[in-house]
Amino acid sequence: MQTIILQNLSKTYSGGRQAVRQISLALDPGEVYGFLGPNGAGKTTTVKLLNGTLTPSGGSCRVYGIDPSAEPAKAHAHTGVVTEHAQMYDNLTGIENLLFYASVFGLSPSDSRTRAAALLRQLDLKDAADKKLSAYSTGMRQRLSLARALIHRPEVLFLDEPTSGLDPESAQNVNQMIRDLAETEGITVFLCTHQLRYAQEVCTRYGLIDEGRLLASGTLHELQKAIMPELPLIVRAEHMPHRLPFQQAGGENIYQASIRTEDEIPSLVRQIIEGGGDVYSVEVKHPSLEEIYFTLTRDRKRTENAEKTPGIQQAREEGKERTI
Amino acid sequence: MNHAITAVIKKDFRGITANRRLFLSLLIVPIVLTVFLPGMFITIAHFMPEDEDLQMLLELLPRSSWASTMELTVTGLIFNNILPVFFLMIPIMASSIMAASSFVGEKEKHTLETLLYSPLTLGQIFQAKILASFLMSMTVSLISFVVMLTVVELEVFLLMGTLLLPSANWPVILLLLSPAVSMIAVTLIVRGSAKAQSVEESQQGAVFMIIPVLLLIVGQFTGVLLVSLWILLGLSLLCVLLALFLLKKAAGRFTYEMLLQ
Repeated sequence: MQTIILQNLSKTYSGGRQAVRQISLALDPGEVYGFLGPNGAGKTTTVKLLNGTLTPSGGSCRVYGIDPSAEPAKAHAHTGVVTEHAQMYDNLTGIENLLFYASVFGLSPSDSRTRAAALLRQLDLKDAADKKLSAYSTGMRQRLSLARALIHRPEVLFLDEPTSGLDPESAQNVNQMIRDLAETEGITVFLCTHQLRYAQEVCTRYGLIDEGRLLASGTLHELQKAIMPELPLIVRAEHMPHRLPFQQAGGENIYQASIRTEDEIPSLVRQIIEGGGDVYSVEVKHPSLEEIYFTLTRDRKRTENAEKTPGIQQAREEGKERTI
Repeated sequence: MNHAITAVIKKDFRGITANRRLFLSLLIVPIVLTVFLPGMFITIAHFMPEDEDLQMLLELLPRSSWASTMELTVTGLIFNNILPVFFLMIPIMASSIMAASSFVGEKEKHTLETLLYSPLTLGQIFQAKILASFLMSMTVSLISFVVMLTVVELEVFLLMGTLLLPSANWPVILLLLSPAVSMIAVTLIVRGSAKAQSVEESQQGAVFMIIPVLLLIVGQFTGVLLVSLWILLGLSLLCVLLALFLLKKAAGRFTYEMLLQ
């Protein structure tokens, strides 16, 4: 069963701003889906739509088979949510906060205690368990929020910028935990972030969003293929045979050729050696998530400008006619 | 009652008692109204001179209010006609502090959003919040009554050597009018909470509810208005109906979108 399904999901706010425009996608259990885009791209709005705290203006979505806008409370029983704005109680300690949410989610007192203690240990908060939340640092709060979202063993986890405010070591621990949750417990993770490098470390599939539109969706390999059908192969070699399709690139003895798949590499290297060349290094330049994102947004803007330009020219011409 | 709703109510109670500033503001008004003012009134009644004009004024009162001495008549009048009205102010004040803190306070501190992501429906969250405020207000009222009764009876016994008998006004006020007024205050604050952005803003709204109660107190003092038991019963039933109506309407008008603005 697919855990999250979006079908032409759209949201237009009362002020007329289109935050989400016809997004369609489907996620399987155990996937860590990176929903990536800059601030204001529509990521948080999508999370709110998937949790039923916002009602879609068009299209539909289902989480664990439930329509969240029709039955939000039922959907929440299967989901855990970490967002910047979902805070906990400053006057309660870390463990008291977790126990409170555990009882709200219907866990028995003994199960709540065991679960809370395990999560605090896993997230390196054991020593701070009895401290009031008001004494927690931003990073500790963020980790406790993750513990709170996991307290009821959700099947779907929504994380909105989960590592903001975390030091590198904590961020690495959280990443590891997210990967483990997906791999061992089959939790579907819907992770929103604008930190593309961070996403590349943890996600199994990506959706790139800008101004409410889903620009592309797929695994890193699929996105790379879609953006760059031909990959640059960089070879450092001496006595490069002239008949081969390599061109000098940058420094001395650095050559570049375009290949469609990595399967072409052994044959090319063999040809260099057979032609009398000495190979020192071979590297395929895969575009990073950042490069893919910027290429996609640039392409979209170019298309939009091209669409707008005839209209502008026409308007200018009409203006001229009027002034004449 | 749902286990989760009980958890929210307990948490809200703790939120008030753990916050020294809120807890003090919750205690000050009841202490003034149930310890200082009654103590002062009874002392004045005891030490006031036997004045003929006052005697004539007291004779205008219904015979049932008369006691063996003028001092006891005045004390009885204060105890059975003026002090009960204080028990309308106490629940309004207590419920407004509690409702504002438990609802608007949660919105202000962004903890409401976390609660909205729980398996509780909006209706259940409202139910928990309204119940918590109502229970807190009733607890404060009942404790205040016990404290006031102890203070008044002790003082009357020490000064006048007798005890006062509470009139039928008391059960009507404590068990009917006071809960109804408290519920009206809670539902009005909760209704206003979607728009209010701060606890102070929401509490200011409740101040307007105190005005009719103040008028009632002034009326009782000056003798312009002497509320009889039947009027009190009628007024109480009216307030109960209004409270039930407001309660039914309160939760229905909210959506997640409105609360997260």
